[in-house]
Formats: sequence, C-alpha cells, structure tokens
Amino acid sequence: MRDDRFNVPGALTLLAFLAAWEAAVRFGVVTFAYLPAPSAIALAFVAIVRSGELFAATVHTLRSIVIGWVLAGLIGGLLGLVFGLSAFARRYALASLEVLRPLPAIAFLPVALLLFNFSLTTELVVMIYASIWPMFVNTMGGIANVAARLHDVSLTLKLTPLQTLVKVLLPAAAPAILVGLRLCLGTTLVMAIIAEMIGNPHGLGYAVVNALMAIQPEQMFAYVLFIGVLAIGLNFCLILAARRLLPVYGREAMSHV
Amino acid sequence: MARIAAEQKFEVSPAALAPANGGNIYECEAVSLELFPHGQRRLIIDRLSLNVRAGEFLTIVGSSGTGKSTLLRLLGGLMPASSGSIRFRGSAVTGAPSGVVVVFQDYSNALLQWRSVARNVALGIEGKLDRAEIDRRVRQSLQLVGLEKNASDHPWQLSGGMQQRVQIARALALKPQVMLMDEPFGALDAMTKASLQDEVLQVHERTGTSFVFITHDIDEAVYLGDRAVVLAGPPGHIHKTVEIALPRPRDQMRTRQSPAFLDYRAEIHAAVLNAGGH
Repeated sequence: MRDDRFNVPGALTLLAFLAAWEAAVRFGVVTFAYLPAPSAIALAFVAIVRSGELFAATVHTLRSIVIGWVLAGLIGGLLGLVFGLSAFARRYALASLEVLRPLPAIAFLPVALLLFNFSLTTELVVMIYASIWPMFVNTMGGIANVAARLHDVSLTLKLTPLQTLVKVLLPAAAPAILVGLRLCLGTTLVMAIIAEMIGNPHGLGYAVVNALMAIQPEQMFAYVLFIGVLAIGLNFCLILAARRLLPVYGREAMSHV
Repeated sequence: MARIAAEQKFEVSPAALAPANGGNIYECEAVSLELFPHGQRRLIIDRLSLNVRAGEFLTIVGSSGTGKSTLLRLLGGLMPASSGSIRFRGSAVTGAPSGVVVVFQDYSNALLQWRSVARNVALGIEGKLDRAEIDRRVRQSLQLVGLEKNASDHPWQLSGGMQQRVQIARALALKPQVMLMDEPFGALDAMTKASLQDEVLQVHERTGTSFVFITHDIDEAVYLGDRAVVLAGPPGHIHKTVEIALPRPRDQMRTRQSPAFLDYRAEIHAAVLNAGGH
C-alpha cells in the first residue's frame, strides 16, 4: 500500500495461478462438475457486460453501499462522538451497546426480513446495523484517547467547547475516524451482498445466487470475481480520498488508515 | 528607556502594567487540594498562601512530589482547589481566567501536529480578532521567539527547542498578563535551555508580563527569578521564599559567575535539601 509502483512479482504470481487453474481444468487434472476454466469465466463476464445485467446489478449494489455507508458512518460517528466525549455516557450506556455489538448481523437478517419484507429497507437495515459498529468503536476510541494535554491546551487558550471539538478533538481523532470509515465501508459491502442473497432480490448478491440456481457456474464466478474487484476499487478510492484530505498527518498516521 | 520603546511596539495592555490590589496580580490564601485516588484521601497541597506581584518573575522550585505542577494547574484554572481562595486581579478563579495562559513542558503533545506553526500560534485568537490583527499578532509573537522564518513549517519538522518556542509564541499571541510555565525547558538540552531562558527574560522585559515559572533546576530558578519559592512536601507547602536581587538584564556568563548568584544558589539548594520530598 505504501509503494505506488506496479508490483511485478505479485502480478506474475497471479498470472501463474490463473494459468495453472486453466491447465488443471482443461487437462482434467481437477474434475469438479461445475468448476469452469478462467477462459470460460472471461467469456461469461463479456456476456453479462453485453446484456447489461452486470451494470444494472452493480448500480443497485453500489447505491445500497453508498446509502448504507453514509448512514452507518453518520450514525456510528455521532454515537462514537457522544460516547467519546462523555464519560457519563460510557459509564451508563456502553455496557448495553456492548451487548448488542457481538450479535452477528446475519442472525438479525431473518428478523429484518420478517419486519420489512423482501425490500431495499431490509437490505439497508442489516447493512447499517452491521457497519455502525466499526465506525462507532473507532470514533469513540479516537475522541476519548485524544491526549489529555490537548484538553488542557484548549482550556488555557479559552477555546469554546465547539471550537475545542472542531479545531482540536476532531482533527486529533481524524486518523482513527478514517480507520472506522474504511472498516465501515468493507462491512457495508459484505452485508449488502449477503442481504441481496437472502433478503432483497436485486443487485450483485442476488445475481450470484441467481446464476447458481440457473446452474451457470461461469456466470457465478464472473460475478464473484467482479465483487472482489469492486471491493478493492472502493477501498482504493477511500485511501486516495484520505490521502488528499489528510496530507499533513504524514505517512505515519496514514499507514493505519 | 529601551523597555518603554519595546513595550509600545508590542502594545501591552495597560492592565499588565497597572496592577490591582496593592501590586498583587495573584492572591492565594490557604489553598488546599485533596484527591481521592483509589478511594483513598490524599492531600496534595496543604494550606498554601502565595501572592504574585504584577510584572514579577516568580520561580517555584522543589523536588518531585511537592505539588509544583499541581499548584500551576490551580493557578491556571485547569482544576479547582478543594479549599482556600485563589484570586486573579481581585476575582476568584473559576476556570481558566482570561489574561492567564499556561505553557506546558511536553511541547509535542501541546502543539497541534496537523497545523502549521503560524496556525498553531493563531489557535487561541482565531475567531476572537479580525484577520489582519490575527496575522499581525502571529507575526509579532513569532518574532519575539525568533521563529518568523518557520511560520509555514509543521511542528514535527522542528527541533524540540523550536517546538517549545512555538508554544511560547502561541501563549504570547493572547497578550497575557501572566504566563504560567510548567518546567518548560525540562526536556531540552543545556544549550537550547540557555538561549530559551534569555528569550523568556527578553519577553518579560519587553512586555511586562508576569511569569510564574516552575522548575526543578535551582540555577534556572535563580537566573530567571525576581523571587524564588521553595516548595516542600508532600503535601505541598511553601518552605522558603528568597528575594533575588541580582541586577537585570541578566547574562549567562556574568550573572552565573557573580558571587551573589552563587550565594542564592547555595541558599536555595540548602532549602530544597531541607524541604525533603521524594
């Protein structure tokens, strides 16, 4: 991540792996009934691009991810801010939240399905529920762990509470908050795919299941690999944005993001 | 004469020069502080009474555990006393009083690492003054500590001594009547320490600001101070007060070699030893 140059040995390893897979399938070394060769997957990929199915599914999933990420980021961030600022809130309510946190969001999916039916709401509720936590925990930790000295500085320079928050605490906690946003994005993507597989028959997650049901393994693999690329792409965009927003933190702080 | 010219240049608020209350800018009476770590009552400062005269350079020495830093936090309004009264220019201190600013020892924690030097210095006056006045004060303050060329650097690009200068400039930008300094040069090497001592003395001379300066370095206490207070403890209380009648301006070579300096040094050293502490 630190090195922006193209990773030649890494790419060669990947190519060798693909070639070995292709050879293994073609020459019958492995004979799973439904394991397609990379070339077949590539053809299937071209087909779903041409038919527009991939585009429609991607638009749906991306839209869910953006909505879910923004809402989870806001809710988790605000909650984290309140709990990070207030020892009182931590003492009285953190235990209750810590009971909810380990509850796997997937277990919550049938409940959401029962309440909200097969819908975008179900998808979003599950996504947001799961991805609030990394944002919450990181923001809370970031704010609560701002050096006590900076609180002294804010006092002695007579900053108002709002100035202290905006000029001192939030910038000091920004690297931790960015880690939260990044984990939040990853969780949102995972939960969007799962929710689409079970709770909302649209998007990339549904496309994977649909290809499975139709016994089109080439297409299924094409969707799965595309989801992987999408995840890498989203993560990369966030890192780029973070680097532009926080250049002065230097490399040290950014290596955590 | 030189002093008056310099004051006009920096425009010290008249209040810094015209004290209230019979020349005392701070008046502390029977100040005590109790804390309860692990549920056990611990007396940190015990009925301490102390005045700070307007324009004075007061140094406070003592071994660790005598409550030096705690006393400074009380004066700066960073924490409340358990009993007794602390008055700044006649009114009780509740919270950080305006006109007083604290400079901390750990400059790297006290500076905002993501802000440039100039924006660190502006932190306390942003939103309180107009743009032009902020720029002017930042420039003046950086000039006073010799950092005008580093305005756009970031703290992590500077040496320890320069970072501490930034913190002092940030305090000066508020044009305080009192600067409370908590072992500000404790983490610096001897050479840097000497030059910062002289810079602080120059600021004192030019601006008429009162200083309360905590140190565990007896030489430093004598070199800088008009008066040195020796703390004993725990619990912290005043063991001895020494008026230091060394002529000003002071000089690293001449002052430190003068017999009077050595006498004060011996006197305070004996007092610190007598006072005990950890």
